[in-house]
Amino acid sequence: MTAVETPQAPRKTTPHGPERAGRGEPPGWLVRLKRQKLASYVILLVFAVLYIGPLLMLVTTAFKTLPEFFQNPTGMPESLRFENFTEAWNEAQFARYLVNSVVYTTVATAVCVVTSVLVAFPIARGYLKGGRYILLLYVIALFLPPALIPQFQLILNLGLFNTRAGYILLFLVNPIGIIILVNYIKAIPRELDESAAIDGCGYYRFVFKIIVPLIRPAIATVTVLHAIGLWNELVLAIIYLTNDDLYPVTRGLIAFEGLYGANWPPMAAAVLILMTPMVVLFLFLQRYIVSGLTAGAVKG
Amino acid sequence: MRESPTGGNPGIPHTTTVIHRSYLFARGWRSATPVLLLLPGFLLYLVMAVGPSLATAVYSFTDATGIRGIAINWIGFENYDEFLLRGAASRDNIAALRRTVYFCLFVTVIQFGIGLLFAVLLNQKIRGKKFFRTLFFMPVILGVAIQGLIWKLFLLPRGGPAAEFFQLFGWTSELLGGQPRQAFAWVIVVQIWANAGITMVIFLAGMQTIPNELYEAARIDGAGKWQLFRNVTWPLLTPAVNTNLLLNIIGSLQAWQLFLVLIGYRPGTQVLGYLVFAEGFGQTSGSVSSAFRQGYAAAASIALFILVLVFALVTHAWLSRREKRYIG
Repeated sequence: MTAVETPQAPRKTTPHGPERAGRGEPPGWLVRLKRQKLASYVILLVFAVLYIGPLLMLVTTAFKTLPEFFQNPTGMPESLRFENFTEAWNEAQFARYLVNSVVYTTVATAVCVVTSVLVAFPIARGYLKGGRYILLLYVIALFLPPALIPQFQLILNLGLFNTRAGYILLFLVNPIGIIILVNYIKAIPRELDESAAIDGCGYYRFVFKIIVPLIRPAIATVTVLHAIGLWNELVLAIIYLTNDDLYPVTRGLIAFEGLYGANWPPMAAAVLILMTPMVVLFLFLQRYIVSGLTAGAVKG
Repeated sequence: MRESPTGGNPGIPHTTTVIHRSYLFARGWRSATPVLLLLPGFLLYLVMAVGPSLATAVYSFTDATGIRGIAINWIGFENYDEFLLRGAASRDNIAALRRTVYFCLFVTVIQFGIGLLFAVLLNQKIRGKKFFRTLFFMPVILGVAIQGLIWKLFLLPRGGPAAEFFQLFGWTSELLGGQPRQAFAWVIVVQIWANAGITMVIFLAGMQTIPNELYEAARIDGAGKWQLFRNVTWPLLTPAVNTNLLLNIIGSLQAWQLFLVLIGYRPGTQVLGYLVFAEGFGQTSGSVSSAFRQGYAAAASIALFILVLVFALVTHAWLSRREKRYIG
């Protein structure tokens, strides 16, 4: 054994120069690598605490009674009780808020995506005179002043203030979505259009039966981008909806906070109820959601 | 509908890629159809977005209110005059303007740094990479209402986790309920917590476009970790750097919604965006006189718009100069 080991030992140490790479000890580069990994983990874990901590506090609070919470807000709950969840659910009409949110989000997103495809396709293909200028108008919009005040005046004078239709009307356009779609459609060969026209496939049918399936990733991106923004919208819901029956979940949550104030356990339960579906959806559709939100961010 | 003419049509060369639209539309697509189908989306866009956007400037010269049926009068520069130059209110406005810039600087610099740090750490071969990425991105999808409420609970002044932690160092504080400056700082923290994930993801996407050969070549030349970052990653990350800087600056200048959820309209903490909302929609708790002054709010939002525009243009100019320097 020794006879075999001795000639190998110098060979092992030479590439690493004068560093101690004695028997049993890992070579110097490995030590350095490990130290660096360790440092990475330490930093990541510190930040992870900052990200998990608030969520953990939310979960523990949701399972506490109010006296328990006042006595020891930070500790673990004594038992897993679900009264807070039922209380939040019953007291705050979250079922209704959820229905509202689902209606607003699906209707507005569907209209937005369908009309956007019909705008984007002829622009991307150059089937319109001045299509380039229309596209420019969509790009410029990202650099225009906010439309908040005149938009309110418009909805007010249309008599749509505090109505579902008025609220949905606010979310029917998405310039970033148009830009994403145009860029994607440009990559689809034009020969398709030609053969479709030759085979007698009408324009409308061509766009929805042939083009839409081909641009599914872009449509998914735009849908996610639009739907998440709409679902999370709080300010416009505060401005336009004063009737409790019309509130989406975000507005309902803030209204619930106004009523419950320092009564955190049911409050935390309410936040958890509304947060969980979002998180689950996120875990399953992560790729689309990340690409949707970053595409939106990048183009914005 | 008609018999396919492709078979014996010598008129179309086989290799052509340029198809005239007149050809398509002669083959059965009515040329009005694309226009007709485009119209709903485009008109909605003009009426709901472009029109109102431009009208903001017009409204800023009027005394419009949020009440239906009250006559709107043209009052010239009155709103701007009042907003910037007159009395105690204008001093508050200037303070809000300054605060907006501070908010922007702190959020941009810290969020940029943290996002870059996350991306660098998670671009290595490391266990749990996916978990950390998911965790750091997750707040982004939650929206301001949930983000704000989560932190309001976490920052509970009596016995909350953050308060308990500071207690360890003998520091007691009201946190969000404390001095305006302190409350303001906490909003900055939450804003960064909520959005650093986007910055991280954009940096990661940028890093994945850098070819591995470059790193290998640099390593053969004996470059250390820091040199690899300084001389390979950083210059090649320029597009992501530009995107993130512009996004963070524009986003943080306009952000104010976490102020609404976390501390409400509180003197000494408002930023411009909140001012627009409060003046225009009567959310200033207390002073009823200022409620629903939409002309005035429009002037404030034009002021904010100009601020954003100036910051964006200056940053853009600086970034393109920097880019030229890198490319040579």
